[in-house]
Amino acid sequence: MVSVRAKQLIKRFGTTTVLRGINLEVEDGAFAVLVGPSGCGKSTLLRLLAGLERATAGSICFGDRDVTELEPRDRDIAMVFQSYALYPHMSVRRNLEFGLRLRNTESTLMNSRVEEVARMLDITHLLDRLPKALSGGQRQRVAMGRAIVRRPALFLFDEPLSNLDPALRAQVRVDIRKLHDEFGVTSVYVTHDQTEAMTLADVLHVLDNGEVQQRGRPIDIYREPANRFVAKFLGSPAMNVNEAILERASGRWTVGDLALVDPQEFAGLEPGRELFVGVRPHDVTLAGSEPADLQLAVEVVETLGPELTVHGKLVTEPGFERPFVAVLPADHPVRRGDVLPLRVERMHLFDRITEKTLRC
Amino acid sequence: MLKRSAIALVFLLVWLIAPIVQAKQPVKLWHAYRGAEEQALQEIIAAFDGQVELLAVPYDAFGSKLQSTVPLGEGPDLYIDAHERLGDYRERGIVAPLPEALAAGLAPAFYADKTIAAVTIEGAALGLPLSQKCLALYVNVELFAGLGIEPPTTLEQIVGLADRLPKGTFALAYEARGAYAHAALLAAFGGALLDVETNDYSFEGPAAARSLELAVALIEAGVVPEDADGALVTNLFKAGQAATAISGPWLAADLGERVAYRVMLLPIVEETGQRMRPLLTVEAAMLSPKGAQNPDALRLLEHLASAEAATIRAQRARSLTARSDLPLSQDPLLQAFAEQAALADLTPSTAAMRAVWEPANRAIRKVMRGDVPADTALAEGRRRFDDVRRPPPPPASPTPLLIVLGLLSLFGAGVLVQRARQREGWTDLRRSLPAYAYISLGVLAVGVLVILPILFGAGAALFAGKPHAMYYVGLANFYEILTARGAPLLSSGSFYVVLAVTVLWTVVNVALHLGIGMALGIALSRPAMRLRGVYRVLLIVPWAVPSYVTALAWRGMFHRQFGAVTGVIHAINDLFGASLEPIAWFARFSTAFTANVATNVWLGFPFMMVVTLGALTAVPKDVLEAAEVDGATRWQRLTRITLPMIAPTMIPAVTLGAIWTFNMFNVVFLVSGGEPDGTTDILVSEAYRWAFTREAQYGYAAAYAVLIFLLLLFTSRLTDRFMLGSKRASQ
Repeated sequence: MVSVRAKQLIKRFGTTTVLRGINLEVEDGAFAVLVGPSGCGKSTLLRLLAGLERATAGSICFGDRDVTELEPRDRDIAMVFQSYALYPHMSVRRNLEFGLRLRNTESTLMNSRVEEVARMLDITHLLDRLPKALSGGQRQRVAMGRAIVRRPALFLFDEPLSNLDPALRAQVRVDIRKLHDEFGVTSVYVTHDQTEAMTLADVLHVLDNGEVQQRGRPIDIYREPANRFVAKFLGSPAMNVNEAILERASGRWTVGDLALVDPQEFAGLEPGRELFVGVRPHDVTLAGSEPADLQLAVEVVETLGPELTVHGKLVTEPGFERPFVAVLPADHPVRRGDVLPLRVERMHLFDRITEKTLRC
Repeated sequence: MLKRSAIALVFLLVWLIAPIVQAKQPVKLWHAYRGAEEQALQEIIAAFDGQVELLAVPYDAFGSKLQSTVPLGEGPDLYIDAHERLGDYRERGIVAPLPEALAAGLAPAFYADKTIAAVTIEGAALGLPLSQKCLALYVNVELFAGLGIEPPTTLEQIVGLADRLPKGTFALAYEARGAYAHAALLAAFGGALLDVETNDYSFEGPAAARSLELAVALIEAGVVPEDADGALVTNLFKAGQAATAISGPWLAADLGERVAYRVMLLPIVEETGQRMRPLLTVEAAMLSPKGAQNPDALRLLEHLASAEAATIRAQRARSLTARSDLPLSQDPLLQAFAEQAALADLTPSTAAMRAVWEPANRAIRKVMRGDVPADTALAEGRRRFDDVRRPPPPPASPTPLLIVLGLLSLFGAGVLVQRARQREGWTDLRRSLPAYAYISLGVLAVGVLVILPILFGAGAALFAGKPHAMYYVGLANFYEILTARGAPLLSSGSFYVVLAVTVLWTVVNVALHLGIGMALGIALSRPAMRLRGVYRVLLIVPWAVPSYVTALAWRGMFHRQFGAVTGVIHAINDLFGASLEPIAWFARFSTAFTANVATNVWLGFPFMMVVTLGALTAVPKDVLEAAEVDGATRWQRLTRITLPMIAPTMIPAVTLGAIWTFNMFNVVFLVSGGEPDGTTDILVSEAYRWAFTREAQYGYAAAYAVLIFLLLLFTSRLTDRFMLGSKRASQ
């Protein structure tokens, strides 16, 4: 078990720069998740950690060991691939044994390890089958088993759940977290799925454009996104973000469409400042008797059991409409065509130029 | 409906009119001339009053083209060919005797005696002689003027030249390894390849042995280049690297004005006091049976043999006429050849003569390689001749065959009846009728183009005798092959020995094809490689070049004195001061086999490379990466992941490659030609020899082919079984 530290990693393919000076820190035994949209460089970063690609610049340390120039086999890692990458010509047992055989593991030890892992993953009955005779979920478990059986110091996961159906995905997600808690092996997990990212991570790195946008506990990042990209990327449905100008008129602050009474967030900001204003769908409530901050013309209502997701448009000035999504409790009936008065419980402000969160 | 009737009507009309149109067709004349001789012929034809259709047929294909057309009433009305083939043509009915009127003209008053004898077989006149060809001595005039000596008249004078010539220049160039040229030397010792009286092999005895020893001595003394073929003789003389050369009129046509030369009589061998006497070939115009009925063809025949035509031929192509009634030519070349032809021995045109060449050539080569003393080689030649000329197996009663065929048909009929009785059979058939209709054309085409010829060929294995008069012999051909015709089973040239060589040949080749092809395929599939596309194209080139072109090029490279390989050896010697001897590639089995293998590997690896490249696309990159993370080195990834994963694709390619190699006629025939002494022949090239160089024993060759087919069928079924077995085991 090791900690992982990457410093100023740069990776270029020809003239394309994929990673622009990434810093990564994962403590010993932690479960780190790298999340970001496709093309953000998260898979490349994982491949650099695995040793399948060489960094153009920067260094990678596992614990005290500098592994930047080491071959994958010398890094004491295991990796689970998106496609599982099982050896198609070998039985499940052979697949599990492969890494051990290469290390000349003694056969009784090898057998006991394989049996143990197979029992743990419930694949004992599959040991003599070829991969092509397995279902997607079974293959996924074999791929996991192949990683576990070698007892490496670091697990790398490259979107291991993306080929599974949603129900199985949720199940395996829980299994992976359980396995991690059991073994306590440091893990780095790449995904573009924010649910996986939020549920699995001890520490989350949000990547975009070859850089780490924010690092921290998932809930902290959710609550305090560092910038507009992170704010929009995490959370479902996504945060409503609009351009706005801060104004003060007749004793009220207005930010674009929002007319707000005494918002603490604005203390210390100059009127006339251009910014983005973001409101999470969950951070609005029906106004009731209090004055409403905004009016939402309902277009589509999605019912998800306890909650409703309401898609509509803000109607502040006629002819000036902006889409807006709100999540409301299901006990209040909402129909298409209604105009709902909403109160904003919490908002996020971002600089128009840097897109960074404005903190007051 | 109307359209169909119209088409039928057109066909009917064409069928009716065709004979009328045909009657007005020009006379068809086939020949094998090229260059000046062809131009001369065209000029002669132009002077003919009538329509002539000329067709130049390659010399090597002449006989087989005639044989496949003339018996069907197709082909030429008349053709020009060497008289040696007349015996064969007569047996096959390809040539018709001259009509009385023309035969009467074949008299000493008009034609040279030898030329009349050449076209007359058992009293029947079979053609009109046109020209005569034989070997003579070419002398490089300038070279002799430079030395200040007279051109030589004896062989010993030529030998004496050797010391006075600059390094790299031979005193005499001739095709020492061939029986055709050696026959001239043999004649000086009073011998002949074939005894004309008894029509029996006579390249044996003291005269033959002595002539061979002399020939070997000439080569060992450096007087004559070793392993020379016609092209080499021409090139040496052309380049001034041979003071004299023994060659025919074709050399003069090749030389043009490049070298100042003179043609003289072949030299006298002082040891016997006799002059070397070459074999004489007479070119004659011959009639096909169809042409013999065609008055225009007869007129053209007369025209071709006329004095006027002979003059054109002499002037344009400098060819020596067969006519005796013309004034002596002013051309010194023709004068010399006329003098030589008068002294030459007419080549016999019997079947026995055609069977002489292979054993005689092999005996000469064997002695020249120094493998065995002349006596042994000559005795072996005799045995080979007798083996080829052995009496065909006696006719067998076809009853067993008929019984087997009858039983098979009965069995088939029984199966059909049983099918017909079942109701489902009928409904099935009715349902499948449209499907049968769809495939019927394909089945017909495959049947006519593939199945029928195979059945025909396989059927021929049960027959023996002359091609035009084959008779049923049952399994006698197979019996003869499998018992090595009475000789010891493991004697050279027996089926089992050739089979062993063939298997060795196949295994070595396929292993190298696979090894090199896969190595290159794997190297080329690496994305990091620069100029990958260029290499890929370059490496496929050997595959794109026709295999016989490659084979001839490699044969040239392996020439002991002048080949590229020897050039490399010389370069190494010059560079590093080593003293490596040039290798006589075709003198030993091991080196000749290696030369064949080298050529065939060059031809064969691109296929395996391409298959490997294709198979590698089926190996996902992430599987290899998974192995890398699992701890596999590059070599382990190759042996434990890549190779097992591409194996299912490679195995059919290997089976295919093995079959191709097993039957790789081109390389064996063209590179080593079976040398030394037929040891590098494989089954197909051996079958070819029985069919085409040994008295046209088609039945015997067909039996070889059937055996080859059965062997391949058996082994590929075995591979299939093996593959299925291992597949099942792995599941």
